[in-house]
Amino acid sequence: MSPDRSVNRRAAAGPRRWLALAAACAALAVPTVAATRPAPARAASRTLTIATNGSVDSLSPFLAQRALPTYIHRLVYDFLTNYDAHDFHPVPAMATAWSTSADKLVWTFTIRDGMTWSDGQPVTADDVAWTYRLMMTNRDAATANGNFVANFRSVTAPDPRTVVVTLNQPQATMLALDVPVVPRHVWESHVADIGTFNNDTRFPVVGDGPFILSGYAKNQYIELTANPTYWRGRPAFDRLVFKYYKDSDAAVEALRKGEVDFVDHLTPAQYDALRTARHTTLNRSPGKSFYALAVNPGATTTSGQAFGDGNPALHDQRVRQAIMHAIDTGALVRRTLGGYGEAGGGYLPPIFTANHWRPDASAAYAYDPDRANRLLDAAGYHRGADGRRTTPDGRPLTLRLLGQTQRPADAQNATYVAEWLKAVGIEVTTRIVDQGMLGDIETAGNYDLAFDSWITNPDPDYVLSIQTCGARPATAGATFPGDDFICDPDYDALYARQIAEYDPAARAAIVRQMQQRLYADAYIDVLYYPDILEAYRSDRIAGMDRQPQPRGMYSGQDGYWSWWSAKPGKRSASPTGPAVLAGGVAALVILGVGGGLVVARRRRAAADDRE
Amino acid sequence: MTAADPAPMSRGDRRRSLVRLGRAYARNRAGVAAACLLLATVGAAVAAPLFVGAADLSAVHAPGAPLRPPSARFPLGTDGYGRSMLAVTVWGARISLAVGLLATVVSVGIGALVGICAGHFRGWTETVLMRVTDWFLVLPTLVLAAALASVLPPGTATVVVAIGVTSWATTARLVRAQTLTVEARPYIERARALGGDHWHVTTRHVLPNVAPLVLAQTTLTVSGAILAESTLAFLGLGDPTAVSWGTTLQLARQVGAVSAGDWWVLLPPGLAIAGVCLAFTVCGRALEAVLNPRLAGRR
Repeated sequence: MSPDRSVNRRAAAGPRRWLALAAACAALAVPTVAATRPAPARAASRTLTIATNGSVDSLSPFLAQRALPTYIHRLVYDFLTNYDAHDFHPVPAMATAWSTSADKLVWTFTIRDGMTWSDGQPVTADDVAWTYRLMMTNRDAATANGNFVANFRSVTAPDPRTVVVTLNQPQATMLALDVPVVPRHVWESHVADIGTFNNDTRFPVVGDGPFILSGYAKNQYIELTANPTYWRGRPAFDRLVFKYYKDSDAAVEALRKGEVDFVDHLTPAQYDALRTARHTTLNRSPGKSFYALAVNPGATTTSGQAFGDGNPALHDQRVRQAIMHAIDTGALVRRTLGGYGEAGGGYLPPIFTANHWRPDASAAYAYDPDRANRLLDAAGYHRGADGRRTTPDGRPLTLRLLGQTQRPADAQNATYVAEWLKAVGIEVTTRIVDQGMLGDIETAGNYDLAFDSWITNPDPDYVLSIQTCGARPATAGATFPGDDFICDPDYDALYARQIAEYDPAARAAIVRQMQQRLYADAYIDVLYYPDILEAYRSDRIAGMDRQPQPRGMYSGQDGYWSWWSAKPGKRSASPTGPAVLAGGVAALVILGVGGGLVVARRRRAAADDRE
Repeated sequence: MTAADPAPMSRGDRRRSLVRLGRAYARNRAGVAAACLLLATVGAAVAAPLFVGAADLSAVHAPGAPLRPPSARFPLGTDGYGRSMLAVTVWGARISLAVGLLATVVSVGIGALVGICAGHFRGWTETVLMRVTDWFLVLPTLVLAAALASVLPPGTATVVVAIGVTSWATTARLVRAQTLTVEARPYIERARALGGDHWHVTTRHVLPNVAPLVLAQTTLTVSGAILAESTLAFLGLGDPTAVSWGTTLQLARQVGAVSAGDWWVLLPPGLAIAGVCLAFTVCGRALEAVLNPRLAGRR
């Protein structure tokens, strides 16, 4: 729900490439730079090493918005609630029980007894209330998760085991507050510099999750150690190391050599190539993201003022539907994803079974070029002698298709979509641009079609909110929280109903209705839901819990289930010390520099930088 | 007339000296082999539409399955879309060569202009032009080109401009030095005394004497430009939907062909880039040796 959990990991590099370059230079000059860190004797320590290409914007729970640090926070801080490993429903974590008042505005949480912070202090309701109140009253503290508390009127802790939250409006997402709770006695001294304190000055960091954050070197690694006093039980592995690999091919190679134990975000070719690798177990899970083609509906501000130069032909629903009929989503899944995915339908991916909606066969935009041609003819865009369609005033019908270089599938899919649209008489000019530039062009409303991908959460509220009228910009060309300038009053009415509906089944029914509405509008065409492809060393890891179950993922879970439950394999006592680690990382960073020659620009984050 | 003081050549003289140049070049066997390779590559690129149809390059209606190893039907296997690597590599030569040559024209054009102006006008003009040249000389060309390519609207023209405007500094330095030696010759003074203006002196006297050097520099720059084009395309800064050697490598990397060990997607464009760049460099060196007899003995 926060504008972050969903970061497409490839997209998150940005300005950090220059730092990678600097890091590489530093590593060249001083090869033993990280070996100066004290290396505790860990002859028999069981370490689980995970390859990552995620970047870290901050390790402060108040500031971190990128995927990797927010995921780390899930491991080192406990939250009020967690998501079940089987089916994502909210389960007790810090809160053991909760109740709501009759007017839906007062939530009372009972806090777990006997929890302690890693420095021995007890975890109390006051820590929860203090964390939430800080975000409500301090703008800097609200940077990452302020949207969760925007609707809070007050938060109090009447006794050490009770937290009472009073709302302005009913809010159905109260069991999906993805807010790390921090120890008041540690963070009170950082209120003054909360906007700049990155929580990376003193290790180990005081926490209460299953792991303790014990080390970090920018663009090299993040090190966690097991929390022996965690209330759900101590993790079996002693250490968890997230090791940075800029290049996914390098990460796969490291898995083959045993330098890392877990690799995710594999491409289909890499996944297939690892089938024959020794001691390697593959895992394929339905993904939490959708990949879509967004149609510019005619950019408008919240007050309805039109701007941008989107093609007016796209204001016609028949033209938009014709585009959907012209695209063979099944072929995209077979070709771009190598079959590892599911063709698109409703807005929310099928992994969230309760909220997923799929169109009836009769109403679906199946691949049907003849139907696309009929719709375009009916809309008044007739084919000329050369087979190209022209607008009623005689100009050729040409659409601009945008993609971003950081998302590898875009170039391939652009090639396919352009050919399919050409087959029904629509000319397409393709531009694959830097993520920052894509954001700029979209913010200005100067596009016709654009590829768009989001990672969704167990709670659908956030990803639904980005398609409401209110998510449009206040002034023309200003950055905005929304996705595609869509404004459908019927959709907005349903949105308002779902946020006030506390019964999960009734709310899911409304959510499905909203998706049906979006589908009929045809402004955003979900092309597919890519699978998550992962691999791990079976000689190092004997087994882990998936989410959801039985078919699910290990990495990127909403929760800490996989790493918390991981059982060491026969050869898990790895000799990987910091010096070896630094050397390997330095070499890889140097390899990655070739790919880092991209201008660092920070503008409006492209759509899939957020969730 | 002494060798140090050549008068402008007549048309007949020029033809004779070209023939002489051709004979001298023909004696350099490596140069001839490289020239043959280049002619064959250019020939294949120009003739590509005759034997590579739109159907062969279509992603949607690709003739084969993606990433299949070489077979009788696809002698070099298939790429990530299922297209024949042979067809893709031959077609890729068109953009790679075109961008390489056009970028070289831009680069050498700017370099020669700046060099001649600086060498001819001297004084403030020279100081300013040379400081700008120095600035471009010390900047890493690829970083600058990548910056330009990501800021300008993407497309083949952008890549040409990005490479062209970032790689002219060496040429400018060389041409300025040559211009200075030419301008020191007495006949230039004579031409000035007879009323020749700047335009006359630079175009009729300096340019013809600088031209051989520019030609040799051109052949050397081309290989750099082709490499730069492939690098930019590989980094995803070109037009990824256009078929060039760089984008073919980029696609191979994106679909994970490196991890999978699908060598047939990587080798053809890679070897093509290496071969053509080598050929241009060998040609350039041979030409240099012919034009500058002092270099002939050393190799």
